[in-house]
Parts: sequence; C-alpha cells; structure tokens
Amino acid sequence: MNRKSLWIILSALIMASLLLSACAPAAAPAPTQAPAQQPAEPTSAPEVKSTEAPAQPAGEVTLRWRTRPDNKEETGVYASVSDELAKRLGFGLKYEPGGSESSSYQDVLKTEIAAGTAPDVFWIPGTDVADFATRGLILNLGEMAAKTQDFDVNNFYAGPMYHLTYNPETDKTGADSGALWGLPRDVSTFALYLNLDLLNEAGAPDPRELAKEGKWDWGVFLAVAKQVRALGSDIYGYGANAWWGPYGVWLNAAGGGFFNEDRTACALNTPESLKGLEFEKSLYKAGEDVAVPYGEDSEPPFRAGKVAMFQNGRWATPGTRQVDFNWDVVELPNGPSGTPGNWLFWGAYAVNPKTPHPEEAWKLVQALTEAETQGKIAALGANIPSRVSQEALDTFLTLTPPTNNQAFLNGIDPKSQPTAEGPLWAGSWPEYDAIMGPAVQAVITGDKSLEEFAKTICDEANKVFK
Amino acid sequence: MTATAAALPHLSEDRHTTLWLNVAVLWHAGFALLLAASGIFLLVSLADSTIPIATGLRVFLIALSLLGGVSSACAAIFITRRDQRGRMLSLVINYLGFVVCLAFDLHILGVYVGLDVLAGTFKYGLPFLLLGFIGYLIGAWGDRHEDFPQRQQAYRRLSQTISLIAAGLWLLSVGLLEGLRALLQQFNSPLPFILTAGIAVFAVLLRAVGRRSVAEALHTKRQHEETLTGLLFLSPNLLGFLLFFAAPLLFSLLISFTNSDAFNPPDWVGLQNYQHLLNVTIQPLSSSTQLANEVLDVKIYNELARFEILGQSYVIGAQDKLFWLALRNTLVYCLMAVPVSVIPALLLATLLNSKLPGMKLFRAVYFLPSVAAIVGIALIWQWLYNSAIGYINYFISLTVNFANSLFNAGWVDPKLQWLSDSNSALIAIALMAVWATLGFNIVLFLSGLQSIPRDLYEAATVDGANPTQQFFAVTVPMLAPTTFFVLTTTTIQAMQLFEQVFILSNPLGGPNNSTLSLVVYLYQNGFQRFRQGYASATAWVLFIVIFGLTLFQYRRQRSSSGAYEG
Repeated sequence: MNRKSLWIILSALIMASLLLSACAPAAAPAPTQAPAQQPAEPTSAPEVKSTEAPAQPAGEVTLRWRTRPDNKEETGVYASVSDELAKRLGFGLKYEPGGSESSSYQDVLKTEIAAGTAPDVFWIPGTDVADFATRGLILNLGEMAAKTQDFDVNNFYAGPMYHLTYNPETDKTGADSGALWGLPRDVSTFALYLNLDLLNEAGAPDPRELAKEGKWDWGVFLAVAKQVRALGSDIYGYGANAWWGPYGVWLNAAGGGFFNEDRTACALNTPESLKGLEFEKSLYKAGEDVAVPYGEDSEPPFRAGKVAMFQNGRWATPGTRQVDFNWDVVELPNGPSGTPGNWLFWGAYAVNPKTPHPEEAWKLVQALTEAETQGKIAALGANIPSRVSQEALDTFLTLTPPTNNQAFLNGIDPKSQPTAEGPLWAGSWPEYDAIMGPAVQAVITGDKSLEEFAKTICDEANKVFK
Repeated sequence: MTATAAALPHLSEDRHTTLWLNVAVLWHAGFALLLAASGIFLLVSLADSTIPIATGLRVFLIALSLLGGVSSACAAIFITRRDQRGRMLSLVINYLGFVVCLAFDLHILGVYVGLDVLAGTFKYGLPFLLLGFIGYLIGAWGDRHEDFPQRQQAYRRLSQTISLIAAGLWLLSVGLLEGLRALLQQFNSPLPFILTAGIAVFAVLLRAVGRRSVAEALHTKRQHEETLTGLLFLSPNLLGFLLFFAAPLLFSLLISFTNSDAFNPPDWVGLQNYQHLLNVTIQPLSSSTQLANEVLDVKIYNELARFEILGQSYVIGAQDKLFWLALRNTLVYCLMAVPVSVIPALLLATLLNSKLPGMKLFRAVYFLPSVAAIVGIALIWQWLYNSAIGYINYFISLTVNFANSLFNAGWVDPKLQWLSDSNSALIAIALMAVWATLGFNIVLFLSGLQSIPRDLYEAATVDGANPTQQFFAVTVPMLAPTTFFVLTTTTIQAMQLFEQVFILSNPLGGPNNSTLSLVVYLYQNGFQRFRQGYASATAWVLFIVIFGLTLFQYRRQRSSSGAYEG
C-alpha cells in the first residue's frame, strides 16, 4: 500500500470517526442555579394527577418545552424550574428558550410546527390561540382535563379561560365546552410608570395620591402631563408605544372597543370608541402635545429621565429597576366609562398535537401553571401569576420595587373590568390589526380626520370576518 | 481531430470488463423494474387517502420514478449496444443514487442532529488538540535540523506519535465510543440496512462503470470523460442549487396557485391569488372630497389613491391596498437608495484610487459598514434616530442653538421624527442602507478602475483632455460593465428590502404603512397571517418586477456599450 493510499484511508477513517462521535447522544444539561430571589412564601402546589398510564415507561420519556422569556434572568429560572419539574414528574424535560432580536419567536415556532420538529409543549400569545386551534396546530386538552381530578378552569382568570375553552364547533365556552387549548402562563396589565423626580420638579400632584382619592381621571391626567411638558421641549408628560395595547385602553375606557360584544364585527366607529381615540389624539402633536411623538419608542426617553408617565406592562419592570431616578407605578386614569379600560394580557402553554406523549405533556402544562412555578417566575418582576389565588397575589405585592404593586392588581381586578387580550375566532386578528393600526396612527398624527376614520374604518376592517 | 474529441485507445474487451458490463446491464434493468413497480404502486395509491404521504409529493415521486426508470432502462440498452451514452447515464444514475442513499442514511442514523452534539462536546477535546499542535511544533522544530538527518528523523517520529495519540484521545474525548454505540442503536429497523446496502451497491456500480476498461469498451471519447469530470466537480453546487434553490422556487410557484397555509392540505385556487393582488378599479368622484366608499364597492375594494385629470377627480380602488402600497414604497426606496449608493460610490472610488498617503486607511474605513451585520447596524441606527434622545437630533439641536446664540439666527429646532413620521421614515431607512452598502460598491468600483489601462489616460492627456473630461470620456465608459454589475446588484438588494424595516419600524411597516416593502408584506402574509399561497404569489410578482428591471438595465448596458464600441 503506497503512502497516498494510506493518507486517503487515514483521512477517511478520521472523517468517519468524526461522524461517529457526532452521533453521540446529547449530554444532559447541567442544572442551572436557582435565582437568589424567591417568593417569600411559595404557594402550595396542587398535586398533578395522572389521568391514564403513560404510553411508555416514564423513564424513557423526554419532553421538549419552550417559552419566550422576557429577559435573560428568566431563561435561567425557566431552566431551573424545568430541572425541578423533571425530578418531580418522573420524566425528562428539555427547556428551550425562544425568541431574539433577529428571530421572531412565533416565526421559528410556526416553521418548526410545519416541519414537524416543534417542541411537545410551547407557549403562544393569547391573540394566536384561535389561529393555532382552528388549524389543528395545538391539541385540544378538553378530554384529558375532564378526566383529571381537582382540575378546575376557574382556578385561572376568567378572561383568558373564556378564549382557552372556546369551542369553535359549538360556539360554547367554559368548563363544559369540550375544548381546552392550553393554560395561561401568566397575566399582565398596563400601569403608568412614574418618574417621581420629574413630577416633583414640575410641581405636579402625585398621581398615586390622586388615584387613592379617586380623583385620577382623564382630565387630571392631562393636567399633570401638561405641567411636566412645560419643563422643556425635550421633556414629555406621557409616553407609550405604537401598538394596539396602548391605544386600545383609551377606546375601552371611553366605553368603546375594537369589536362588538360577540367579537364578530368592527366597533371602531362607535361614538364611544371615537371619543377614546379623540382623547388619545389630544395627547399628541395634533392636540396638546404632551406625549412622546407617536411611533417613537418611548422606553429609552423614559429611562433617560425625560418622560414623567410611561404606559407599559409589568414586563417593563425589570428594565425600569435599572434607572437612577425615583420611580413607582400608578393605575391608568379612569375614563368616561368610570374604568381605566385596561387590558388583561396573557399567553398560554399549549400542547403540540404531534407529541407522542400527550398525557405527559398535559401534566407538564399543569405543573408549569401551578402557583409555585408561577411564583418563581413572577419573582423576577416581569409578570403576574395567572391563578386566581390570594396567596399568589399577596406574594406578588412583596416583589418590590415598584412600591405600588397594587396598581397592577387593580388593573386586573374584575372590578376594573379589564378586557382580556384575545384571539378573533370569527376572523383574522393579524389582518384586523394590520388595518386598524395604520388607520389609528393616521388619526393620531393628523394624516386622517376622525370623521373620515369613522366613515371608512369598519368598511375595511369588517372584511376580515368570516 | 482535436485532442478533446479523440477516442480513448480501444483495446479488446477482456472477460473482467465483460462481466462488469453484464452486471451493469442487469443492475440497470432490475433498477428500472424496481422504479417502475414503485411508480405503479404510487399511482395506484393516489386514490388511497390512508397513506400518510401528501398528494403533491406522491405525484412528484411518480414522476421521479418514471424518469429514473426510463433512464435506467436506457442505460441498460445502451450498455448492451456498447454505446458510451449507457456509461454516461449509468454513472449519473449511480452517482445520484449513492448521494441520495447516503443523505437519507445519515439522516436516519441521526448524524445531522449528532453534529450539534459534537459542537457541544468539542470543548472536551481541546486539550488534546493542543497536544496535537505541540506534536506538530516538534515536527516543525525537527525540520530545522536538516544537517542531522537522524535527529530530524527522531523528531518526526516523536511528532507523529504524539499527533496520533492526540488525535485518538481527541476522538475519544469528544465521544467516539458513545457515537459508535448511538449509531449502532439506530440500526433498529430495516430502513438503515436498506439504505446502507444501497450506498454499497451504488458505490460498487459507480466504481465498476467508471473503470477505464469499461470506458474503452463503450467507445468513450476524451470529451465525454471531460464532460463527466466537469459534471462531477459541478455536482456539489449543482445538487445544492437544485435542492435548496430551484426546487423551493418551483414549489413556491406551485403553491402560489393554492390557498396553502403551510400546515394543512391546500386547495387549488388557480389565478385567484394573483387576481386578488392585482385587482384595481378607477372610479370618478363628484368632488375631490367625496368619500371613496360612496363610489367603490366596499366589499371588494379599498381606497388606494386619488388623482385629478382635467378638473375631474378619480379614486383608485384596490382589492389589496397593502400590496400596491408596498410596491410603491419598494420602488420609491429603490429610486432613493440606488442612485445614492452608486453615484457617490463611483466618485469616492475615483478619489480613493489616487496614490495619496493614507488611502488604504480610508478604503478600510468606507468598507467597514459592509462587514457589520445588518441587524446590529439597524439597532444602532434605531437608537441614533430616536427623536427624543437620539444623537442625530441632539447634534441638530446643538447646531441650531449654536447658530441662534452666535448669529441670532432665529432657527427653530426641527426635532425630526426620523422613524415615526410617515414622510421621513423611508428616507431614514434609505440613508442607513446607503451608509451600509456604499463601502462595498466602492470596492467594486475600485477594482474596475484599476483594470482601466493607463495608456488611455495618457492618450487623453496628450489630446488635451482635462481630468473631468477624462472622467466622462474614459473612466465612465470603461467602467460600464462594473457599473452594470453594481447597479444591478444594488437594485436587487433594494427591491428585497426587509431587515432594515424589520428592525427599525414599529409597528412593522409603519408608520402608517410608509415603510411596508414587498418582502415585508409577503413575510407578514406567509408567517403572520397563515397565507403561504398568497405570499408566494406576491413573491412571484416581486420576481417579475426585479427581472423586468434587471432586463431593462441589461439592455441599456448592451446598447450603451455597443455605441461605445461602435
């Protein structure tokens, strides 16, 4: 055998060895250290009971699950939770964080579902539930839930559960609808993040005090914003980002909304909705000019100390904890309807219909949404437990700053009549949003009159309903 | 007769060659029958909905079986007739068969997934790689002792021993044994055995038919050999192109005639997607302020635009308003970004082509943005553009305040809303894109400039042409091919505007749809609205627009270069 042949054989052997070593099964991930900050008193977890014997020995089952963390710290907590649940549930779990600046969480997930490589359990935003359910991309857990002892849909907030138990075949919703598309991971709502130093400098009254006294309404809110705006051309009284959440609250608070009551038609042209939109317009350049220009990201100027009242969800809390001015939160001001018109944001853990282990996946969904797990995640500050549990709420109040955590709880309190973020079972929510968003923006920036908006918007928007 | 057309020296066919040829004939006849049987089975199964294979895929497989079967049968016939076409066909079929079996086998055995695992365990082998490197250094050190052959030999042996031990330890440390065990565990069904046997059979046949004696027996000429060699070297790229570009392209054309949502079996809708995209109407208005929904069928159309001719106002209604807005935005963006990316690049390249000190530094500085990832660039520009705290507005404010305080100019700080004003958002995105692409175009122009013969400039100087005249009479015409390339690639890039909008606009395509580009729109339809069929139709319309523009530029370049040559 000549030297050349020897080298060829040797190279081939090394290549083959590389391929062989590449076939090695993945090593189990090292357990991630649990976060230092834990809920003071973890709420007791309901026992997750099996409904049927698993399809194969528990030791051989490994489920992949995925959620979109709100920040890097959450990734560590989710990994830690995954390890703990794996020990308790008796089968393997592999947590996969999803979403980054350049790869949309939903795009990656949808691509994986189409390719048949999606995780067994995954989180989806509340607005996506209908699109996923009607296309068979998530498993109906209704049958398994009915067989599970102690499981009760009423343990969670009613708003999300309305949509998660909606049966598109019968138009029924609730525990006996025969449908359960998942369980809510957490809930969230809007509050106004306050720059107390800026309010103090402007000599404006403290919105928290005004809220306690029941005087916190649109008129007072506008007056406070004006006082702050008078501090300088680069100082703003109010800031919010340009998506359906922030502008929706003004419509809701005026007694209007995006849809009619049964969510089968556009209601953007009702007098109440128009009143809300008119008020929001008055905050911007075309009106009183107290707000960060519409369409600009308001978070950087708020964190730079140039915005007094920044409307955002609980998810903005970890970032706001880094600012170097005194801050707190207050609930949104009451509108003409007597409520702040807030949203109840949520997303749900759902099960891949192609999972070979649906029973284990259902157990995992229950475990991920039990009070103890939710408490661990909520401790990082980005969200609120989705279980209706006084213990969970009491724990949430201890997760400071902000001092006035009660503002968030007031936002999701049924007395405040929050509108649950929800899918559009009778149409396409992304298409509706694509029509509504630019039209609202055109009104706020003065490119379109409110009258023209009122006369045309629903002709266009109603086309997305089936 | 040319050398390439010369036949290979023909020797009489020996027994060994005859045996291989007979084996090849039998193999191809059998393979043709196998494929024919598969095709018939798939054809029969078309009506059977219980088989978990999509109808489209089944039709494709039937066509593939038919094509493969006929080719294999032809190969058998040609080999029997001792026709070189038989060898050509046989080599192609066996090569493709080998590649397909290997790819599927590696997939079934989990090697592709395993490569990810290797990435995870690679770190454990790093010390041994270092040891291997030390072995190499010892060998390299030994090469310095040319005057002492024995010492040099000893160093080499030591180097080889250490390198071999390091390689072995490295393979063990990254998981060779676990990999071997995992691989063997995958042989738990007939499929890996069948695929592995397929690899062996195709490889043996490939080797047998590729033998020189077989080539001679089939009267193969040198040009055929060279064609085969060329195809072999082309094959990795060609197969990659067919598999990952041409096939998805054709697939997207197919689904553009369906209502595919990417998840469920689609329905054929013919040209409905294209009709929906392109359906527009023009209606007269009684006055310029009349509402469009009074004259348009609002169940179908939305107002797209208004215009006035001879005192009569008209409204244009479109069934898909967003498509036309996206097309308009994309073309406007092209008109803004392409000239500003090309003309300054040419001027700067001309400057940078001069032999002044420090030019290499400037070339590097201009090229730097092209190296950076577009997502990173866009995130930085997003921050710079922020109207409240961005640096661009900050410097504008400083300038205005400075002018007002020094000259009492009375200027008003414009507080530009770069990304949140529908009048400026697309311009802001174009500015950023120009900044990012200018450097690359400069490099292309520089290479073009350096290929222009200096004699032409010397002749022009002798004729009394000044630098400006030389630029327009020599540089610009001589750069025509480079300009065509730069113009075409920049236009295509601009027409495919996506990342910048994806990062910079909030909401996507905003404000007020002023940055909605065609690619963003098809992304929204395909990924956010579950309309893959419609998104594919949009992609094909975009393809036609880009193709038309490129063809236009090509014809212009041909005519102008023809005029120059004439």
